[in-house]
Amino acid sequence: MDDKTNALREHVKGIFSNLELVLGWEPGYDPLHTRPFYVRTESDIDRLTANCLSFQNLTRYLAKSMNAVDPAADGRKIGVCVKGCDSRSLVALIQEKFVSRDRVYVIGLPCRGTLDARRIRALVPDPARIRSVNAEGDELVVETDRGISRFALDRAIARKCLQCRYPNPVIHDVLIGDPVTPRLKIDAENPSVAAVEALSLEDRLLFWENQLDRCIRCFACRNACPLCVCQNHCIMETRMPKWITQYRNMNEKFMFHMIHALHLAGRCTECGECERVCPVGIPVALIKEKINAIIYEMLDYESGIDPEAVPPLLTFSPKETGI
Amino acid sequence: MRIGVFICQCGTNIAGTVDTRAVAKKAMEFPDVVFAVDYMYTCSEPGQKEIQDAISSHRLQGVVVAACSPRMHEPTFRRAVKKAGINPYMFEQANIREHCSWIGTDREANTRKAIDMVRMSVEKLRRNQALFSTQVAVNKRVLVIGGGVAGIQAALDCSDGGLEVVMVEREPSIGGKMAKLDKTFPTIDCSSCILGPKMVDVAQKENIRLYAYSEVEAISGYIGNFKVDIRKKATYVDWNACTGCGECTQKCPSKKAFDHFNEGLGATTAINIPFPQAIPKKARIDSDYCRYLTGGKCRVCEKICPVKAIRFDMKDEIVTEEVGAIIVASGYDLFDARVYGEYGGGRYPDVISAMQYERILSASGPYGGHIRRPSDGREPKEIVFISCVGSRDISVDRPYCSGICCMYIAKQAIMTRDHIPDSNCYVSYMDIRAPGKGYDEFIRRAQEEYGVKYIRGRVGRIYPRGDRLVVQGADTLLGVQVEIEADLVVLATGVECSAGARPLAEKLRISYDQHGFYMESHPKLRPVETNTAGVFLAGVCQGPKDIPASVGQGSAAASKVQALFSRDTIETDPQVAHVNENMCIGCGKCEQVCPFGAIRMKTLRDGSRKSEVLETVCQGCGLCNATCPNKAIQLRHSTDDQILAEINTLFD
Repeated sequence: MDDKTNALREHVKGIFSNLELVLGWEPGYDPLHTRPFYVRTESDIDRLTANCLSFQNLTRYLAKSMNAVDPAADGRKIGVCVKGCDSRSLVALIQEKFVSRDRVYVIGLPCRGTLDARRIRALVPDPARIRSVNAEGDELVVETDRGISRFALDRAIARKCLQCRYPNPVIHDVLIGDPVTPRLKIDAENPSVAAVEALSLEDRLLFWENQLDRCIRCFACRNACPLCVCQNHCIMETRMPKWITQYRNMNEKFMFHMIHALHLAGRCTECGECERVCPVGIPVALIKEKINAIIYEMLDYESGIDPEAVPPLLTFSPKETGI
Repeated sequence: MRIGVFICQCGTNIAGTVDTRAVAKKAMEFPDVVFAVDYMYTCSEPGQKEIQDAISSHRLQGVVVAACSPRMHEPTFRRAVKKAGINPYMFEQANIREHCSWIGTDREANTRKAIDMVRMSVEKLRRNQALFSTQVAVNKRVLVIGGGVAGIQAALDCSDGGLEVVMVEREPSIGGKMAKLDKTFPTIDCSSCILGPKMVDVAQKENIRLYAYSEVEAISGYIGNFKVDIRKKATYVDWNACTGCGECTQKCPSKKAFDHFNEGLGATTAINIPFPQAIPKKARIDSDYCRYLTGGKCRVCEKICPVKAIRFDMKDEIVTEEVGAIIVASGYDLFDARVYGEYGGGRYPDVISAMQYERILSASGPYGGHIRRPSDGREPKEIVFISCVGSRDISVDRPYCSGICCMYIAKQAIMTRDHIPDSNCYVSYMDIRAPGKGYDEFIRRAQEEYGVKYIRGRVGRIYPRGDRLVVQGADTLLGVQVEIEADLVVLATGVECSAGARPLAEKLRISYDQHGFYMESHPKLRPVETNTAGVFLAGVCQGPKDIPASVGQGSAAASKVQALFSRDTIETDPQVAHVNENMCIGCGKCEQVCPFGAIRMKTLRDGSRKSEVLETVCQGCGLCNATCPNKAIQLRHSTDDQILAEINTLFD
C-alpha cells in the first residue's frame, strides 16, 4: 500500500467524535513492522499509520476481541481500517452475523500489496541496519546505514499480494486513495495452486510432508485468522470430543491443518494472515486456496463478496450440480 | 461396565459364512466383556430369553447383539433388554448379516470382519449413556393444507373423529381439480355430484374452520405444537356479510376477466363466484381486472350489493392458528403443453388441454356441456387425443408416468362418442396403463363398445390446414405413417408438482424429490408420513395418483393423525442433538443448517449467544453436529467420541 498516513489521519480527525474507537496500525518495534493499534482518544490519531507495512488484518479483533454482533445502543460505531483482502473478511463476518454492518464504520484503503518481512530480509542480508522501507511506484526503497538501495516491489511483497484479485475494499463507508488495478482477473486461476498441482502426486505428498513436518502446532495461524472464531473453545484443545491428540507426528499435524482448512471451506477470504504469522514458514494459506478453487468451480461461490449471500456449505440448493 | 455379547447365527444366514463361535470366543477378550455366546436365532423368543437370563445371571450393564440390520430388530432387542431391567440405550447392534455374511463368501475373512464389527460395537457401548424419553403435550387440532378431494376427505375424517380441523385453500373455493371434472372414470359418475356433498359437509361441520383464498405463510414449532401463520388474501368482499347472491356478478361491467375455473375458455366478470357449487359461495374481486382497482372509477358492485359487503380498502391479513399435526394435500398442476412447440398448444385455438376439454364437456362449463370448438364454435367431428404430453418424456424432464391420463382420455373419448355419435375419436398412445379395479375393462369398452380408434405411436407434428388441423404421426404397430385431419386436438397433459410445492415444503421442512413431489417416509411402509414428525401427506402432492387413491390417502393421513392424537402426550426420541453450552460459541451455523427448525439461539444473562435444541423437534439427523466447528453440539447416542472410539479400535 502506498503511504496514506496523512490522508487517513485527516479523515479520522474529522469523524472521530462520532466513533467509539478506530482500529488501525501504528509504527512497530522496527522499521519492518507496524502493529495493530486501537485509537481511543483524539490524541491517539497522530500515531496512526497506513503504508506498505500495514499487513495485519484488523477485522479479526471485531469478532474475537469486542462485541460487534449488534449495533451499539448509542449508535456509535467502531471504525476499522481495511485493505481489499481485509474487507472480504469483514464481509464474511457480516454474513455469519459476527459483526453487524451498522456497528462498523469501514475505512477502505486500496492497496497494491503489503511487504513480507521475510522476503525483505532475503534482499537485505543485514536487517538490523535497515532504517526505513518505503514503496515508491514499482520500487521498494530501503534505507540502510550504508545508503539507499532500490528493489523491484514485486520481490518484496507477500505471496498473496502477487496474486491479488481484490486490491480495493469490497465494502467501505469511505475510500482513502484511488482504486488500484487488480493484478489478476476475478476468475483467474490461482498460480500458486496451479504450481503445486503441476507436481506429480508423489512430489506433492513430499512437498506437503516437508512443509507440515515443521509445524509445531503453536496455533498462530488459527489465532490470526479472522474467521477462526471459536477462540479458546477450539476443537484442537478440547479433549471432549477428542479429535486431536498431542502426539508429535505427521498424522496429528496433518489432521490439524485439514480441520482448520475444512472449517474455512467456503469461508476463507484469502487474507493470508495464517501464512504471514507462521513462525516456521509453512504456506498454510495454500491449502485454503485450493479448497476455495474447488468451491468456486463446484458451487460458483467466492466468500466475502456479498454481505447478503449465504456461504454454500451453510445452505442447500436443489439446483446445485456437479456434487 | 459389564458387557454381554450375543452372536446370532440367523440360521445359516450368518453362520453359513461366519464362524459365530469364534466371534463369540474372541469377544470375551474385549474390554469389559464378561459374557459372550452364539445362538441360532437371537431374535426368537428363546433367544431373547437367553439375553434376559444373562443380564440377571451375569449382572450385565450393557448388551451387544451381532445380528441383522438394526432397522430390522433394534426395537425388538431394545424392548428385550428393557424388560430385563437395563436402559434400552445401553444396547448396540452390530450388523454382521447385511454388512458381512451376505456380501462375502470367504469364511475366514468374514469372521475377521465380524470380530472387528463386534469390537467396534463394544467400544461404542462402553461410551453409551442411559437415555430417557420425555413427554410433550399434544394440541389436538389438525391443519389440512389444500381443499381438493384428498384434503376434503382428510378433513372430514378428522372432523368425524371429533378433531378440530383448520383447512387452508389457496383458491377462492375448495374442490380442487376434481371440481372442474365433468365425469369420473371408470364409472362415469358426475364429478360434482359425488364431490359436492363432501364440499358442503366441510362448510357445515362446526369443527372445521375453512380459510379459502388463503395460503400458509410460515410454520414454526414441532409435532403436537405447531404454530401456523395463514395469509388471508384480500378478496375486497367481506365474506361475513356476502350471501353469495350473485347480484354483483350480473352488473359488473368488466366482463373480460380470465376465467381460472374454466381454464381460460370464455371470460368472467372481475367480481365473480368461481362456479355455482363453490364452497364458500362468496364473491371475490379479481384486482387485475376490476375497473375501480385498476382505473380508479366504477364501484358498481358497491352500489348493487344488497348487504354492502364490498371493501375496496381490504388488505391481506395474517392469522395465526395453533395445531398439533399437519396434513399436506396441496395437489398438483398440469404440464404446460406449450413446451411442445410441435403440437401448437397455445398457438392453435383448437389444440386444447384435457382439462379444458373437461370444462367443455361439463354442463356447468363455458359451452353449457355442448362440445364445440373454441375457435369457431362448430361441433367437431374428428377428434384426436394425444397421450403422454409431459409424461414419460425425459427430454422435458418428466420421466414419470402421470398415471391418470390413459384413463381420462378413454373417459373423454367415450363421452365424446356419447355426445356426438357420428364423430370419430382417435387416441395416439405410447402404452396403455390401466392397473385399477375395472380400469382395463373401461379402456376395452372405449375401444370395443364406443369404437374409439387407438393408434400406438407418437404424434410428430400438428399444423393447420384450412380451418382444420393435420395431425402427423406414426402407427408403430402397423409400421406406417398416419395423417389425420382433425377438428379438435386434445392434449393429455401430465401431472407435475404444484408451482408452490417447493416453497411450501421448505416452510414445512419436508423433503421433495427431483420433480417436486413430496417424499414419504418410506415408499412402501410409511406412505403417508414424512420424515418430519407430525406432518402427513395426502393426494397428488406426494406423487401422481387418481381420485380413489387420493381419497384413500386422505383417509390414511387422517387415521395417522387420529392415532397420534389418541394420546394426550407424545414420547420423544432421546437420540437427539444436545448443546454443550460451555463450548458453544454462538455462531448459529447449526441453526442455519437444521432442516427441521429444531435449533434456536438464546442469549444468556452475560449477553453471550448460545444455541439450544428443541428436543421434540430434533430428528437426530446430525447435520448440526457435522457443521459445528468445535463440536459443541453432539448427537446423543452417536457422539463424536463414540464414533472415534469405533474407528480407533479398528487400527489399534
